[in-house]
Amino acid sequence: MTTLALNKIKKSFGNLDIIRGVDLAIGSGEFVVFVGPSGCGKSTLLRMIAGLEPISGGELSIGGERMNERAASERGIAMVFQSYALYPHMSVYKNMSFGLETAKMPKPEIDKRVRKAADILQITHLLERKPKQLSGGQRQRVAIGRAIVRDPKIFLFDEPLSNLDAELRVQTRVEIAKLHKDIGATMIYVTHDQVEAMTLADRIVVLRAGVIEQHGTPLEIYNRPANRFVAGFIGSPKMNFLDVVASDVRDDGVSIDLAGRKARLPIEARVVDGAKLSLGLRPEHIGTDETGGLDLGALTVVHVEHLGGQTVVYGRLVDGQSLTVALDGQRAISAGSTLAVRIAAENCHLFDEAGDRIGK
Amino acid sequence: MTDAALSTTTIAPRTDTGEPSVSPWKRALLYALLLAVSFLMLYPLLWMVASSFKPDSEIFTSTGLVPADLTVDAYRRGWSGLSIGFGWMFFNSLVISLLVVIGNLFSCSMAAYAFTRLRFKGRGFWFTLMLGTLMMPQHAVLIPQYVMFLKLGWVNSILPLVVPKFLAIDAFFIFLMVQFFRGIPRELDEAAIMDGCGPLRIFLKVILPLSTPVLATAAVFSFIWTWDDFFAPLIYLNDIEKYTAQLGLRTFVDSTGTSDWGSLFAMSTLTVLPVFILFILFQRLLIEGIATTGMKR
Amino acid sequence: MSTLRTTERPAAGGRFRFGDSLAGYGFLAPWLVGFFLLTLGPAIASFYLSLTDYSGLGAANWVGAENYVRIATDDPRFWTAMNVTFTFVLLSVPLKLIFALAVAVALNRGLAGLSFFRAIFYLPSLVGGSVAVAVLWRQVFAGDGLLNQALNALFGFEGPSWISNPSTSLYTLVLLAVWQFGSSMIIFLAGLRQIPQDMYEAASIDGASKARQFLKITLPLLTPVIFFNAVILTIDAFKAFTSAFVISDGTGGPIDSTLFYTLYLYQEAFTNFRFGYASALAWVLVLIIAFFTAMSFLTARFWVHYDD
Ligand SMILES: Nc1ncnc2c1ncn2[C@@H]1O[C@H](COP(=O)(O)OP(=O)(O)OP(=O)(O)O)[C@@H](O)[C@H]1O
Ligand SMILES: [Mg+2]
Repeated sequence: MTTLALNKIKKSFGNLDIIRGVDLAIGSGEFVVFVGPSGCGKSTLLRMIAGLEPISGGELSIGGERMNERAASERGIAMVFQSYALYPHMSVYKNMSFGLETAKMPKPEIDKRVRKAADILQITHLLERKPKQLSGGQRQRVAIGRAIVRDPKIFLFDEPLSNLDAELRVQTRVEIAKLHKDIGATMIYVTHDQVEAMTLADRIVVLRAGVIEQHGTPLEIYNRPANRFVAGFIGSPKMNFLDVVASDVRDDGVSIDLAGRKARLPIEARVVDGAKLSLGLRPEHIGTDETGGLDLGALTVVHVEHLGGQTVVYGRLVDGQSLTVALDGQRAISAGSTLAVRIAAENCHLFDEAGDRIGK
Repeated sequence: MTDAALSTTTIAPRTDTGEPSVSPWKRALLYALLLAVSFLMLYPLLWMVASSFKPDSEIFTSTGLVPADLTVDAYRRGWSGLSIGFGWMFFNSLVISLLVVIGNLFSCSMAAYAFTRLRFKGRGFWFTLMLGTLMMPQHAVLIPQYVMFLKLGWVNSILPLVVPKFLAIDAFFIFLMVQFFRGIPRELDEAAIMDGCGPLRIFLKVILPLSTPVLATAAVFSFIWTWDDFFAPLIYLNDIEKYTAQLGLRTFVDSTGTSDWGSLFAMSTLTVLPVFILFILFQRLLIEGIATTGMKR
Repeated sequence: MSTLRTTERPAAGGRFRFGDSLAGYGFLAPWLVGFFLLTLGPAIASFYLSLTDYSGLGAANWVGAENYVRIATDDPRFWTAMNVTFTFVLLSVPLKLIFALAVAVALNRGLAGLSFFRAIFYLPSLVGGSVAVAVLWRQVFAGDGLLNQALNALFGFEGPSWISNPSTSLYTLVLLAVWQFGSSMIIFLAGLRQIPQDMYEAASIDGASKARQFLKITLPLLTPVIFFNAVILTIDAFKAFTSAFVISDGTGGPIDSTLFYTLYLYQEAFTNFRFGYASALAWVLVLIIAFFTAMSFLTARFWVHYDD
């Protein structure tokens, strides 16, 4: 069941079009993550959903009801801000109860809700403190608590973890996932961090310059990126793109010419012979020991990063195109050496000159 | 981040040396010089206070600060030196100053909130006009204002001194508050919007409680400037029982001429006393207020 | 983020406006009423009055530019007042600036007790406008006042009455103004604090002397603050009133030697009840101040150094 529907949503500041027609339906209880490069309009979109930013065009509906003109507090939405935005002059308790007091909820009910939220977030011992007396992680919890007490249908998070250090970030990420499971509300979450996106999302929405490039489950996005942009954006290290030329195009596949080396991919490609294509290869799919698949030739190693669990190799193919390879485990490889690299055919992605995915 | 953004610009003494460090000798010399200058600057004020405790004969013979013969006689003479006691005039001054403080805080904070936080057509236009009035000398509007208050029957009452302050006539304070409000993170307003607050509740529950430093600064400056104001009471108050302390002191100069400096100094000391107490209590606020806005009278 | 974006306006198409115009004008209402009733209205009225012979009673008879013509051609006291005021402005403003800057630079050397000195130097600015200080000044510079007592005790010098001597009385008022250099000094101190330390470090590595550092770093970087202070002090100096009023018993004497422009204006308006003529005087003052302000802004680009 859909709780939130965006229908051709647009936003412009003056004559600057920031959001250029976004269509999206979000189901009840779904965890949706917005990702995209800085300035693509993630926050703006979120703020329009929240009611903090007027909508320039299109329709926003929640539970089937048009919401464009509704005040933020009447949309059944709570928002967690990147900087937490806790009221500095109020105690933790007051920070959480303020919205409920504004809504004129009876005192005992407020108290019950605040204590329950504090219990869930394990901040009961902090209730009398002021935000100034809290650590970053504690402030983050209070900010989430402030959202929980309102018992919203939809939670909005704008990069909630970006001000935390790495360890806390992982910990809080796990807690947010647990919170989602426990209370089952719809959550929309904005982040820069791929790991957050991949681990938290039921569905990832990739935005670029105010339009949705692709949305789907994390694995769909990873396995079948709709275009070069999405392919490059999701996955780390970034996907390699090699320039190839198509030939021998038939229904069951296409041959590609990679630095004089021919290979056949079982991808249904509607392109003409001689079309310039982009071959996308994820670094972690490229191997040195495989026997089958595509032979990429010899890789001259330029630089090696030993990460412990993984060895990342940066090098050049015989035709000079650079290629990054991520190998499992620790490998005794040093700069200057050469490696024979291969990749399984099913892990190859093809993109046409416009950057769109070719095949299934 | 939130907290840092909220604190006003602090100009606390800095611990590192300003320009590359000064040699000890030069430093000692500098201290001596600064001490001498500050002593010289304060001397007249100190002498005035000291003289108010001296018998009259001593004022014209002693340049020293320690009265040979400590007496509060001058205070007794001065306090009832006019047909209306000075106590009454102090009371008038106090009432006017407090009302002005309330008026300024109320009206200027509202205007500053509108200018910094609310979106409405013409905001930029009005803001520019407000800045324009900051530079405009009062003389341009003085006479028509007077005529207007005269027609309203307000002359010889405190209304002309007080009512304009409830209409945000002191653009300086709007400016001061605008500067401060701009430093309050806008996300706090947005959090409050999500919490169901309208503009009024955001103003009362979020912006004002976070603005106590600037409100205090505005209150202290309002009080001191009104307390010290001479021109407006001079033209608007006619009856001696409506006089402020400043007007009373001026009248006292007229009536005693230069015959009784002792009681003049005693009453002068008393009129400066409230300002001095506020200065001691709120020194930091006053100095930071001046440093951050870069404006003063 | 929190800067006032005057360009940001409710986007077209969105009927739902946040902090909509109603609230905006609601909060602005007191100021708007004040602006129209106490500023704009009176400003227009005062210009109209300046073209009449209004006396506060009876009708305001239209006299055209007569008041202005009289100011320019037939009013020796106007020229006296101009003379007194300009002398006061041209002496007190530069002196105040120099003192304020010198003391600020001295205090900025990382001395202990900065806040102590800062407070002491600021105190006169805070109380200086009061009647009490004017009374005190009257005594200090009287014939048998503090100054002459001190001069007599130290040098055996019999000083004149500085206040009642027309050739010195104005200078006692200049001195009173300069005595109040404190608030400018605080602004200078705040400005000095903005100058990045590494500039001095770089300069001393380059072997620049203290004096050179002051001339080549401190002064140029401080020009915006100097400019600001100069404009504010000039406007303030033109508006000076209380001290002259109290010290001269409201006359501007002796023999008009302390007849500040504002004092003359006051006398015409509230002693002689020539509201029409005083309005014209007021407008002349406004124009003079506007001229000075405009000139400062026009010349600013030749000597004020802004970062890029
Ligand atoms: N009030 C505003 N007026 C004008 N332009 C704005 C305004 N707010 C945002 N923008 C512009 O809209 C675009 C999208 O901004 P937004 O904050 O939504 O980006 P974002 O995707 O959240 O970026 P980030 O990842 O850096 O947070 C930016 O180019 C920004 O400059
Ligand atoms: Mg953002």
